[in-house]
Amino acid sequence: MLKLILGWLKSLFHKADKNAYLKEISIFRKLDSFELYLLNNFMHHRSFKAGELLFDKDYPLEMIFFIESGEIEVLGKAHPSGRSVLKKNQWIGIMDMYHENIRSSSARAITPVEANAISRKDFVDLMDNNPHMGVKILSGICESFSDYIFQICADASSITKGNTNS
Amino acid sequence: MNWTKLLFYLLLLSVLTLGVFFYRWIFANLVYAMVFSYILDPFVSWLERRRIPRWLSVVGVYLVIIGLLAWMTSRFLPDLVKQGNYLFDLYASGKHLSGQYIVNIPFVNGIYTFMQNLDSQIPGLTLAPKMVELLDSANESLASIPKLLMDNYQNILSTLSLIATIPLLSFFMLKDKYKLRKAALELSTNRYFELCIILLRKFDTTVGTFLRAMLFEVIVVGFMASIAFGIVGIKNPVLIGATAGVANIIPYFGPFMGGALAAFTVLLNGGPIIMIVYAALAMYIVQVIDNNIIYPVVVGGTISMHPLLVLLTVIAGGWYGGILWMLISVPLVYITYSIMKVLYINLRDFRII
Repeated sequence: MLKLILGWLKSLFHKADKNAYLKEISIFRKLDSFELYLLNNFMHHRSFKAGELLFDKDYPLEMIFFIESGEIEVLGKAHPSGRSVLKKNQWIGIMDMYHENIRSSSARAITPVEANAISRKDFVDLMDNNPHMGVKILSGICESFSDYIFQICADASSITKGNTNS
Repeated sequence: MNWTKLLFYLLLLSVLTLGVFFYRWIFANLVYAMVFSYILDPFVSWLERRRIPRWLSVVGVYLVIIGLLAWMTSRFLPDLVKQGNYLFDLYASGKHLSGQYIVNIPFVNGIYTFMQNLDSQIPGLTLAPKMVELLDSANESLASIPKLLMDNYQNILSTLSLIATIPLLSFFMLKDKYKLRKAALELSTNRYFELCIILLRKFDTTVGTFLRAMLFEVIVVGFMASIAFGIVGIKNPVLIGATAGVANIIPYFGPFMGGALAAFTVLLNGGPIIMIVYAALAMYIVQVIDNNIIYPVVVGGTISMHPLLVLLTVIAGGWYGGILWMLISVPLVYITYSIMKVLYINLRDFRII
């Protein structure tokens, strides 16, 4: 009984973490509540209509977008087929961030899109100023890149097999 | 044409105009509060990174400043008040500054004698009496300063009360820095969003870095000038050094102002002329250290303007609005120039123009 009352009292004083939505993005999964708060300070919520351009190829690279809902079509060299579709909790811009200062692809909303955006420079500064947090994010990025490379390899081998069979 | 849209924009414009009209008196305070916030922001952010809530970080920084002010007040204020009163009495009495007194000072006496010689050689020329008259009228103007202050005490009090609001405004600017940024950026459309972020950051970096660098330079130059004037034996070194530190913000002319104030004090005290040379030498050494070590390391990286442009800007600022504009003209021109440059480059890169 006492346990239940304590639990109820605790629930009264315990506020839900309003930045917890960021944990759904794989690269931020390891961040604690305070680190999520720091990150959220630099996040900007944006809405895009279906068909609206997020950015075009050769635009200066400034923002990294994390998709909250909706679908985005990306056309560029980052995918072997030259086209990929990004969905909820996926992001766009991180690969270019480590490569060059201009966009290597263009992105357009297929459906209405809600996204969170962070400036590349704010993101890098945040990791520089908070090394512990930076290591967690970078390790998350490495894991995601590793998954992505394996997936690309699997896609490429299936395409090759398909070509051989035909 | 969409009339509803047009009407809405007209309404918005009217509301904005009314807002600007209503709040026009506090714009200056907002700017001062912004300057204050930019200077304090790195300390607040440093504390925040150590897991102290932002509001508590701001309170902590304020407490440290209050503590420092209290310490400085107890340590230096009696000296400053004493030195200030001394100069004030000197100006107010008019005794030491009468034309006849000043022309007896050896250095000035040389000029006075030269003019008397000219007067005797050229009939009708009355340069020497005119010089005494000029010095007397300057003396009268200086002596009227206390009266001027007494006559305008209401304005002075209202200015002081406005100044008191600056830390309060600054508190909210520091505490809600990210919320304010987000709110400002939410106004931009998706097309201009990245451009706005780039411009905001450029403004943030340029203004913040420049202000902090200038404050550091003021403190260091003021400190060095006080020590240098103290060593050469000029009276009121703390006050003159502090003034020289602030005046030093004005490129090219500022250092002369500090030196001139020191020389003027020597003249008023009736000290030997060699003291003026010592004061100039002290200020020169401070300038050498400032120009070769402090400025290039601290401020140099923040502003890259051609010296000729700096000089022209300071002169133009002086003509436009006196000493205040001489102080702010260079950073203002530089900030405007850098923002316009970034704006042009990005408008082109984002294919907006």
